[in-house]
Amino acid sequence: MKKNDIVVEVQGIIKDYKSGFFKPHYTHALRGIDLAIHEGELFGVLGPNGAGKTTLLNVIMGLITPDKGCVMIAGNKNCGKFSQEIRKTMNMSSGNPNYPWALTVREALNFYGMLYGLWGKNLSMKVDHLIDLMELKKYADTRFDELSTGTKQRTSIAKSLLNDPKILLLDEPTSGMDPNISRKIRKVIKRLHSELKITILLTTHYMREAEELCSRIAFIKDGKIAALGTKEKIKRMTSSKNMEEAFIELATD
Amino acid sequence: MNSQLIRIYAFAYRNYIFAVRNFFTFAEMLFWPIIGILSIGLMGGFLSLTGNMKSFLLTGAIMAGVFQTSQLDVAYGFLYDVWSKSVKQTFIAPVRNIDYILGSWIIGTLRGIITFFMLAGLAAIFFKFQLPSTLALWISLAGVYLTAMISGMTVIFFIFMFGQRIDIIAWMLSALMMMLCGIYYPVTYLPAFIGKIAQFIPLTYFLEYFRTGYGFTLNFSHPLIKGFGLSAIYIGILLLLIELAFLKAKKTGMLIRLSE
Repeated sequence: MKKNDIVVEVQGIIKDYKSGFFKPHYTHALRGIDLAIHEGELFGVLGPNGAGKTTLLNVIMGLITPDKGCVMIAGNKNCGKFSQEIRKTMNMSSGNPNYPWALTVREALNFYGMLYGLWGKNLSMKVDHLIDLMELKKYADTRFDELSTGTKQRTSIAKSLLNDPKILLLDEPTSGMDPNISRKIRKVIKRLHSELKITILLTTHYMREAEELCSRIAFIKDGKIAALGTKEKIKRMTSSKNMEEAFIELATD
Repeated sequence: MNSQLIRIYAFAYRNYIFAVRNFFTFAEMLFWPIIGILSIGLMGGFLSLTGNMKSFLLTGAIMAGVFQTSQLDVAYGFLYDVWSKSVKQTFIAPVRNIDYILGSWIIGTLRGIITFFMLAGLAAIFFKFQLPSTLALWISLAGVYLTAMISGMTVIFFIFMFGQRIDIIAWMLSALMMMLCGIYYPVTYLPAFIGKIAQFIPLTYFLEYFRTGYGFTLNFSHPLIKGFGLSAIYIGILLLLIELAFLKAKKTGMLIRLSE
């Protein structure tokens, strides 16, 4: 990998959350994260619950401002605010997604499509294409609050592709899904990566998923990177046979 | 079409869908305002008020219905996302605060116009209420819609600062403003220090102006200049405050908490 094909660079990110007014308590969510993700890479962020994975994705997406450090997207520095142009090149899909409850799948996709400037024929063609791609035709006119978890997740992935993102952030995309739906979603992710050459940053709890999809992995623990590299390197580092064992080894104090 | 116009349209489209699919939005536009106008009209009859005094009260009831309907829509532009826990999804996109404020205000204005004509029609049928000249009517309505935008924007600012627990302010703030700006009585009737506060609310001047159409004398000079001037100043200040509150919400994690 070359240095100049880095599309996401995270430099020294620190983020603490303050709670309580009179007796403030600080939770250290991220404690100095450095990462470089290359163009076209499918990068995995793993770690136990509360390790800081989702916070990291939100920082990269510009939804949380770090206390220290910066995020570079395609060479553009963001230390608090992304330009509109940068935001047009990225998108994100979260596990257990929420969208406006009264909107049907098609209406929700129309709404978010318009937020990216899609209009008229372009919008309807894009929405139709994504409904087909994510096998949502049967649910296109169903309200979001009436969908099953798996269908909500597929809607969320469809929504995250509305702007043809160059960088796609997937936060636990198969969380809470049955094995069949999970397999289908993994298939879609693979396809997006191989056919559309999208740079994907994915967080997951499922080691099988990480093993199957990711080329490189960062293992986060207590807001710090505990291990970084290819799957093989991490397995070697932890003397593990598979990622499941590596996870347990890295997560155990 | 310009991408900012598309985004504004997107929020108007979403507010429209919520408005036609939810009973509570229908009740806000029709049920409560109709209850208000009929109660006030009947009370006027019971108290044997003169035509002018009855018009004064009915004007207040009509404008209260219009103001409440419109200002709620502006607040809803943001609250629909808060209640759906989809705030994060909206701000992942290249959205500016002005986009959802304007988009929802457009629907608020349309719903306010429907409320206005329905209430004025009912008041005319049951209580012989007549509308003032067309120009005075539209100027006053424009003022009420601008004040509704200010009220809705204030709600958005507070939610960014303090989270969903404060969403009740969407109903409280408008009621407070209506009380202060003399919705059912002249502001001169208020205690002096409250009357001073009323002078900082644009709605006070638009109500005053609207009532001149029924022969009431003005308590303030240049009500339109003051009303529109204050509105412009407040909208400018609130846009800045909402932007600052948004940046603070990203810093404190409130933006994400509003999506959980």
